[in-house]
Amino acid sequence: MTDIAPGLPRLGTTLFSLTLEQRQPGRDLRSLIGEVAARDLGPGLEMVAFQSLRGWPHLDEAAAREVRGTIDDSGLTPSCLAVNLDLALYPGRLLSDDEAFEYIAVQLGGAAALGFPAVRVGIESGPPVLSRLLPLAEQLGVKIGVEIHAPMTIDAPPVAALKELFTRLDTEWLGFIPDFSASMQAVPSAVDDAHRSAGIAPELTALAKEVWGEPGPTMAKFPELERRAAELGATPPQIGNIKMIFTMHGRMAPERWADFFPHVIHVHGKFYGVADGEDQSIDYPAIGRVLREQGYTGFISSEYEAHVYTARHSAFDQVRAHHDMLKRLFEAERPVAAR
Amino acid sequence: MGPLDDQVVRADSLTATSDGLDIAVYTHWYRALPLPSLAKVELTVDGTAVDLAVLSVTVNGHRYAFTELADRGDEYWFTTDPLVLHAPVETVPGREHRVQLLLGLSIPYILTGPDRVPLLAPSSTDKTLSAARPGASS
Repeated sequence: MTDIAPGLPRLGTTLFSLTLEQRQPGRDLRSLIGEVAARDLGPGLEMVAFQSLRGWPHLDEAAAREVRGTIDDSGLTPSCLAVNLDLALYPGRLLSDDEAFEYIAVQLGGAAALGFPAVRVGIESGPPVLSRLLPLAEQLGVKIGVEIHAPMTIDAPPVAALKELFTRLDTEWLGFIPDFSASMQAVPSAVDDAHRSAGIAPELTALAKEVWGEPGPTMAKFPELERRAAELGATPPQIGNIKMIFTMHGRMAPERWADFFPHVIHVHGKFYGVADGEDQSIDYPAIGRVLREQGYTGFISSEYEAHVYTARHSAFDQVRAHHDMLKRLFEAERPVAAR
Repeated sequence: MGPLDDQVVRADSLTATSDGLDIAVYTHWYRALPLPSLAKVELTVDGTAVDLAVLSVTVNGHRYAFTELADRGDEYWFTTDPLVLHAPVETVPGREHRVQLLLGLSIPYILTGPDRVPLLAPSSTDKTLSAARPGASS
């Protein structure tokens, strides 16, 4: 395991990082978890239930026993299970609040059966559903964290509503799971690979990076982006691809991470590539400073996501480099609480 | 856009059967999706569009008419499993076919715009491949 000094955030890996590795011949859940452990990429282990667990959200006793045994054998520590509220499950309508409650409640029970202390839900799980789930979370001993991912920010109305809810309920069982994608300082270079293979001209990629870097709210930039991209000859699908950059990579100031506290139950260490010991697109030192100042000692799951853009790198190697970077960063300064 | 898009139809995806051409399809999304998420399937074989009314699908060992999928919200297409499209196209083992597939997956937990409609994640395939004999190992 990547040992880190006491009083600091604990490291871990989400199997989502291994999305491409999962598809390789001969791979299964046991082999992925086993390699995470063998490469010392724990101690925390996170997975996306719908990605990794066949048959989810249904989980019979035999399947639960097998998965739990696989995790136990690895020596890793279950940190968080990512679950989903599929509100648009059926065409033409969204699930009612009753249906949404049931959809998550079943998965919360599954997470408890697998030994996970927390689940991650998305921003589509709003205050009414979370409030109803609270007694069940408490009964099962499973915390529910809402992931705050780009393009959301702490100031977005749905996030502000959650902050108000968490403050009012003052409970340890509900909280935030901030994701580093919300606070990026540059568009990752992996985008270049994806655009090249999609036939998007380098001038369009450069334009996207330029407009992304300009000040102002993301959505307000779309008209300018669309106009200038069309002038460069971009097709509508290409413009759609370019807009994806704006929704996947947020620009919230790293200092604002302090406002997620004291309601942070888990952290997603999103990254798009560590080269020469540094992440060029995310200001890890700035966010790391906030986590230290807040005395955060929960898990940071290393979440490599450049696999959406490129198959050029081994995700295992990338997570290794990410852990080394975090360990160096956090241990460079003694934890605030120990001073 | 992305590495999984190229794997939606693989080199060994085509099989010639007695009632047509089977095309094994793999999801370009990272997680299992409920069957109604197969919101858009535009399949063209050798330049001729396949009518959705005659298309059937096998997933999790069950065969459905394509039009039935919208009601199967209790069943999921797992990340690493193939979903087989059965196209009533005349073929024999060894014949090559040009397969063009626009697969639009409705992502049920990502809602977009003021009307909160699910994101449609497309992948586009255009490959010419040889149909294998049923039961032939890849």
